[in-house]
Amino acid sequence: MTKRILPVLAGLALVAALAVALSSPPDVLQGDFVRILYIHVANAWLAFLAFGVTAAASIGWLVRKKPGYDRVAAASAEIGVLFTAVTLFTGMIWGKPIWGTFWDWGDARMASTALMFFVYLGYLALRRATPDRQARARRSAILGVIAVVQVPLVYFSVVLWRTLHQGLTIRPDSVQMEPAMLVALLVNVGAFSLLYLALLTARVRLARLEEAVEAHERAPAGRAVTAPRLETGQ
Amino acid sequence: MTDPIVQLRDIGVRFGTVPVLVAVDLTIAPGEVVGVAGPNGSGKTTLLGVVATLIRPSSGTGRVLGAALGTDDVRRVRRRIGLSGHEPAVYPDLTLAENLRFVARVAGVTVEAADRALADVGLAAAADRPAGRSSHGMQRRIDLARMLMLEPDLVLLDEAHAGLDQDAEVIIDVILERTRRRRGGALLVSHDAERLTRQVDRVLRIEAGATV
Amino acid sequence: MSRFWRQALQVAKRDLLVEGRAGEGVGIVLPFGALAVFVVPLATSGSASLLADLAAPVYWLVTLLFGMQLALRQTATETVPQRRLLVLLGLDPVARFVGRTLSAWVLLIGLQLVLIPLVVLFYEPEPVPTPALMLPALALYALGLAMLGTLAGDLTVGLRTRTALAPMLAAPLAVPLVMGASQSLISISRGEGILTWTLLLVATDLALAVAGVVTARPLEETAT
Repeated sequence: MTKRILPVLAGLALVAALAVALSSPPDVLQGDFVRILYIHVANAWLAFLAFGVTAAASIGWLVRKKPGYDRVAAASAEIGVLFTAVTLFTGMIWGKPIWGTFWDWGDARMASTALMFFVYLGYLALRRATPDRQARARRSAILGVIAVVQVPLVYFSVVLWRTLHQGLTIRPDSVQMEPAMLVALLVNVGAFSLLYLALLTARVRLARLEEAVEAHERAPAGRAVTAPRLETGQ
Repeated sequence: MTDPIVQLRDIGVRFGTVPVLVAVDLTIAPGEVVGVAGPNGSGKTTLLGVVATLIRPSSGTGRVLGAALGTDDVRRVRRRIGLSGHEPAVYPDLTLAENLRFVARVAGVTVEAADRALADVGLAAAADRPAGRSSHGMQRRIDLARMLMLEPDLVLLDEAHAGLDQDAEVIIDVILERTRRRRGGALLVSHDAERLTRQVDRVLRIEAGATV
Repeated sequence: MSRFWRQALQVAKRDLLVEGRAGEGVGIVLPFGALAVFVVPLATSGSASLLADLAAPVYWLVTLLFGMQLALRQTATETVPQRRLLVLLGLDPVARFVGRTLSAWVLLIGLQLVLIPLVVLFYEPEPVPTPALMLPALALYALGLAMLGTLAGDLTVGLRTRTALAPMLAAPLAVPLVMGASQSLISISRGEGILTWTLLLVATDLALAVAGVVTARPLEETAT
């Protein structure tokens, strides 16, 4: 039942979120461009959540070796990469009018988000490159664990790089928020959370179906080998 | 104390979703040498991998040298298992002597034992030849020399006779004889039915992943 | 010497012996990296001040990319029978990680010793006031790359896309190492302290060591 309710709910919530984002008051400094941030921030948070779920599921797989953990880890990483891409894209189109540039090396979060994007692109590439399911689950779970240890350091090092060379910069988006805008942001976070859940459950279900198709009528490997059709002396 | 060296009950192995072994029962008693025969793809090599504790069974239960398969228990018995696969485990850039000495040092055996084993398999004169420039048969002899050196309680030979001449046959005979005397066990896979029946106590037939 | 260290040193010694014979790192990766250092100026206007500015970034890029090539040498990649043998010999998987890291570390330090004079020669960067201060940073940088290369290599062993995949997995995770080492150099040039960057390098190396130890056992099973 949830497999129909969740997508519908997520769809409705996204429509509502869009309506709230478009009807909320324009920002004093950013004008209408602030509306991009509702989607941008919501996607960024969800991307972090998604990679967090991948990390937890990776550890879960290493401890329990249950295929369910692997499906969740993989699905969540795929969605996380998608959300990170949206985060980077919306960040850039917002940055052009507000900061005057698509890419601002002064913002540590942009650089570390981009690096995280590459880490999990690598994660997905490793999965694609590993044909055997058990090996794929093991290798990607291990990478998931290494990433958990290393990603905070990547983030920290980029922050350190900025703070030591430029000093902390105050950005317009860190200024106190108006209540109407906070509501718009929270509605968007809620809507994208529902979208995340809907995509996650659908992707996990799809993975299970893929495995079922693969398993369908598989005879032992040895049965595929028959006697040669050749005879000597012909 | 006559616990079997190997005891497998209804073992199944899947690679992904493809079943390779479906129902294998096998017992090797102390001092027993068992041969495995079966057509290509029947799962002989996989069975050897399971007995070597290197392939985790997907179903069934088994004990090897007292350790339950699929548990961390197998770590403490691995050192007592000797495996020679159809591809020899040698480093092509190292000489034959260096190959054995490296194994000796990792395993905590003396270098002298390594050199003695090399001489025993008739490769003393080829000691300084890089393994990669030695024939397949010579590399197989290195695999066998390792068994003489480490004296495993469970000897596993895949394609036991492939690439070995009649001379080298005696090496396998000696390894099996010593293993029997130690009350260890051995499992041999071979396509050479004649040689196999001469060397083993009984032959286990395996077809399409199941013992018959 | 304990069994653990004896095994780790044997593994390192084996890797270096194989490298000595096969010469993939010293004979191929190293000249290739030197070539990269040489080619970059040809793609610029040739201005001396630009080259001086490029010296450090080119150095870090080349050591990162070619360092990965060095750590992932095909001749140092163990085959399935070789790995199975080591598992059955009772080789401690952590000792294996330590040994592989040690051999890669030695080679990475060698790579740096060759590239530094070349970069200085071809790019003529501003002289660093006290170059000796960079030594700990360079050693920690190489150590981190060695661990990362070992891990990435083990994760991708046997995969057909390994040559491209392993560096792709390692490079973004190497950022704290590049950052720590490169910013140490900048700080030294400016006469500033390097404590923060040294701590970043130490923290990253420690994190990678923890990752290596924690994943050693599950990685061992990729061999079988």
